[in-house]
Amino acid sequence: MSSTDTPTEETPTEEAATDSAREAMLEQLSGELGDALVGSHLEPGIDLTVRVTAAAWADTAAFLKTGMGFAYFNFLSAIDWMPSPFGRDMDSQVDITLEGTEAKPAEEMTWGLAGGETRFQVFARVNDIVKHRAVTIKADVPEDSLTVPSWVGAYAGSNWHEREAWEMFGINFEGHPGLRHIYLPGEFEGNPLRKDYPLLARRVKPWPGIVDVEAMPGDDDETDSAEAAAGDASTDPADAGSQQ
Amino acid sequence: MTDITDRQQLKYIAAQAADARVNLELETEGMTLNIGPQHPATHGTLRIVAKLDGEQVIAADPVMGYMHRGYEKLTEVRTYPQVTTLINRIDWLGSFANEVPFILAAEQLMEVEAPPRAQWIRTILFEMSRIANVVLFLGDMAVQVGAVTPVFFAFRDREHILNQIEAVTGGRFHPNFDRIGGLKDDLPAGWVAETKQVMKKMRAFCDEIETLVMGNEIFQARTRGIGVIPADVGLQYGLSGANIRASGVDWDVRRDNPCGLAYDQVDWKVWTHPDGDSFSRFWVRLQETREATKIVDQLLDTIPAGPVMAKVPRIIKVPAGEAYVETENPLGVMGYYVVSKGDLVPYRVKIRSASFNNMSISPWLLKGVYVPDIITILASLYFILGDIDR
Amino acid sequence: MGLVESGKVTGGLASLLNMSRKYSLWVYQWGLACCAIEMGAAFGSPRYDVMRLGVIPLPASPRQADLVVVSGTVTDKMAPAIRRLYEQMPEPKYVISMGSCANCGGPYWDSYSVTKGVDQIIPVDVYVPGCPPRPEALLEGIVLLQERIQNEDMATRWKGEAIVVD
Repeated sequence: MSSTDTPTEETPTEEAATDSAREAMLEQLSGELGDALVGSHLEPGIDLTVRVTAAAWADTAAFLKTGMGFAYFNFLSAIDWMPSPFGRDMDSQVDITLEGTEAKPAEEMTWGLAGGETRFQVFARVNDIVKHRAVTIKADVPEDSLTVPSWVGAYAGSNWHEREAWEMFGINFEGHPGLRHIYLPGEFEGNPLRKDYPLLARRVKPWPGIVDVEAMPGDDDETDSAEAAAGDASTDPADAGSQQ
Repeated sequence: MTDITDRQQLKYIAAQAADARVNLELETEGMTLNIGPQHPATHGTLRIVAKLDGEQVIAADPVMGYMHRGYEKLTEVRTYPQVTTLINRIDWLGSFANEVPFILAAEQLMEVEAPPRAQWIRTILFEMSRIANVVLFLGDMAVQVGAVTPVFFAFRDREHILNQIEAVTGGRFHPNFDRIGGLKDDLPAGWVAETKQVMKKMRAFCDEIETLVMGNEIFQARTRGIGVIPADVGLQYGLSGANIRASGVDWDVRRDNPCGLAYDQVDWKVWTHPDGDSFSRFWVRLQETREATKIVDQLLDTIPAGPVMAKVPRIIKVPAGEAYVETENPLGVMGYYVVSKGDLVPYRVKIRSASFNNMSISPWLLKGVYVPDIITILASLYFILGDIDR
Repeated sequence: MGLVESGKVTGGLASLLNMSRKYSLWVYQWGLACCAIEMGAAFGSPRYDVMRLGVIPLPASPRQADLVVVSGTVTDKMAPAIRRLYEQMPEPKYVISMGSCANCGGPYWDSYSVTKGVDQIIPVDVYVPGCPPRPEALLEGIVLLQERIQNEDMATRWKGEAIVVD
């Protein structure tokens, strides 16, 4: 078993049964992939996440399908790990640089389970519905080419998922029969799910941020009512932090 | 079954004709038929571009995105309770079911367990949203095939369920009732007895549909042998829910991985059908609706007392981590892959929606079928556009 | 110059004509999303029956429709279709925008693919708020529209001038 950034957690004694099943999965995968398996995270009783190199991305799919019996394709997508340059809107009061103060240092890129090294990661999930087990596979997308091999050869269902990932993130899938728009109109520019793609409505009128106490309908001052008008009743403008 | 063999033959002929066309002197161009994007209300804005040769489809290409609202981007700028409000609207017929996997994923990250009463009530509302959803499917598939009356029965009987959901949550659909750690409120007085009456009515509705629709000669002729999905193809495309169970695959996330919901406390059955055609998908959903009413009855009898909300901080900050939870929603398996960095807002939420996978098989499935069969097949696959387009 | 255009239809006759128009609306449902289900409940279920108001659903095509109810989220991809639909309807035509998505973008006000309100594309007569509005709310919207039709000046409408609501 190899794990780099995130160590595997210790198993509590009552979870031993499920955990050994996942450990067996991990051993089988690392036995087949060898060096291509660069990270893993096993949450005992809950889930297994495995990270492979981009070059081995399609081979992993083929092995999972034929060698390990994961016949069910669940989904495939991508994550952009770059911290959003627009800050986290909900804390906009915190992220806005006030005059006379220094800008906060840019956040560092951190990755999730099983680690990572590049900005984009593709991840996919496959199930074995006979033995009731599932695994999440991740891979770093090479920064220069933004290309990973396609899963269409192994799982026919990944066709649409890869089209969506291409459209939303701009990641190319080598060997895909036809990467074209699936959701957005043909003239759409940009890749919406990238972190540096702005939501223009929020740039024009930033969310007022966390407001602890909601003003009563009678005695709200002008700023509150103007900012409350920007949101909509169904998004609970001032109840962002309160638990009902 | 002779029907299937005939269709296989027809597919072969269509493929040959498509190749041979360029050599024919009488070169008739195949027609491109545009189905959509305006459908009768229940299916929504789906557009299918079908290349036809006479009455047969050579290639069908669904064009989606007419309801794409950018959910995955919007969840990155909303707090967890706000996301709960938003994701109600993905599968807009059985709305409570959309909240549950997301809340369960967030609870898994926060390592909070909802009290048993909350899990019970969640399961009851989950099953009720399944009934509300599938009841409309039963009426809607009939109207797509040509029988107009059942859809009025469906709307009428759905009102009973919506009344009950409204009595608890305040919203007919889009209840926005689930919270991280439990539920917003407890059940009102008298709700349990009323819901039992409603379940009786829903069983009566199922019987009505069975006598009205399922035995009908025309319905059977239009759905038997149409749109056969072999099990291995269905698995490759990620089909879920009744679509895969109608192909004989015995997989139900409620039984295999309930994730805290109360399914293991009641006695119920998973329905499968070996045929894999449109009729079997209808049949499986009808049986599942009946089963759901029985589940709700059993759960109503055994609701434990106690609080409906665990102790969670007022401002929810979910610790860093990743979690994936999937549940058996009315349309299929729905899952949320929640990536959190310890903020008030999720970092990335990947919404695994059932209808996206269910629809992805349609280019493969619609090759070589007749034009009216397109409607039947799509009706039997049962997708909601909000679920496909997110 | 016809009677209506030259403004000779006034008083009781105008009121009679308006009343006949308001009680014979043929509604084209542009059902897009969740509001379409409530619209379906309003039009199709026996509980909130809309036909008692004289409004009949399901015309064969927009060219035979008097009223269009836009219910649900309008995306940028769908917007040209709505514009084309509106232009296909013959005058006098009315638009009801149902639900907050059609009114102003609704819960998706900040999305990159949602048109913030159908009134950016077509002129709207009545806005029905809600998410989704109850079928009774839609019925109230239709009744409001009928009141508006009753008090309308047909000559203004004929000439295509802006209709002022007082």
